[in-house]
Amino acid sequence: MEECEGYGDYNMEIFNFKTVMLMIGFLMIIAGCYCMIRTYHMLKIIIGIEVAMKAVTLFLILAGYVNGHIGLAQAYVVTAIVLEVVSAVVFAGVTIGLYKKYGNMDIRNLTKLKG
Amino acid sequence: METLIYISLALLLVLCVLAVMSKSLLKSAVYLAAASAMLGVILYLLGAVWAAVIEVSACSGLVTVIFISAISLSRMKKEDVQKTYSDKKQMKFLPYLLILCGILLIVTAISVKDFSISATAERISEDFRDIFWNTRQADIFGQIITILVGGIAVSVLFKDDSKK
Repeated sequence: MEECEGYGDYNMEIFNFKTVMLMIGFLMIIAGCYCMIRTYHMLKIIIGIEVAMKAVTLFLILAGYVNGHIGLAQAYVVTAIVLEVVSAVVFAGVTIGLYKKYGNMDIRNLTKLKG
Repeated sequence: METLIYISLALLLVLCVLAVMSKSLLKSAVYLAAASAMLGVILYLLGAVWAAVIEVSACSGLVTVIFISAISLSRMKKEDVQKTYSDKKQMKFLPYLLILCGILLIVTAISVKDFSISATAERISEDFRDIFWNTRQADIFGQIITILVGGIAVSVLFKDDSKK
């Protein structure tokens, strides 16, 4: 391994699992954002947010793994998971309330609310 | 270990895309739960054991239960969801968009020399519990406040129904 230096060695280092993880995280964020903008259904929008948040979790743990501070990264990830769950619960409550009031889960109905 | 990480990453991406693309909301929720489980496997393999446990129990368990209860309360048919929200045609673009972005990312990784993350720092022996309870105490207060606010929000949302 020590003999093959230069470009060949550089090529081997590019596609380690950390780079692949970074790419897959970016693709997951694109998929989540696409899910959020393509539909008016509130539950689908929550699913898009969840997919994007999973990518954020992946990034945080990757950063902790690269720097060696995996314990600190875990503390951040736990906070992110709590925020994710609470936001999912609140959004699901809003969705159910919207369905009981208007009969569907179209997010455009939120503009009709008063008070 | 790296082979398992590669397999889990591929499954994670496939399950997330399936959750986004699936026509049925129930299938989307199940795919999302499986993606959370795969993310938990990746976190465990990278050494983040506590985060993996919380990810699997909270995201893969609790959020799925919430989604499925919300879907069962709505009682909409699969065809009606597509007709009502008219997002069937736009779904076709997603795989092509993801493939294009993936190719762009690979080209960027090859062309930019500093893109590779190869330098791994020394493993600092730190315990998650020490950091969480001693160093990051503000996070704990923030989490408690967030959970309380979420509980109050949900109770306010369902308050009117109990009165009627």
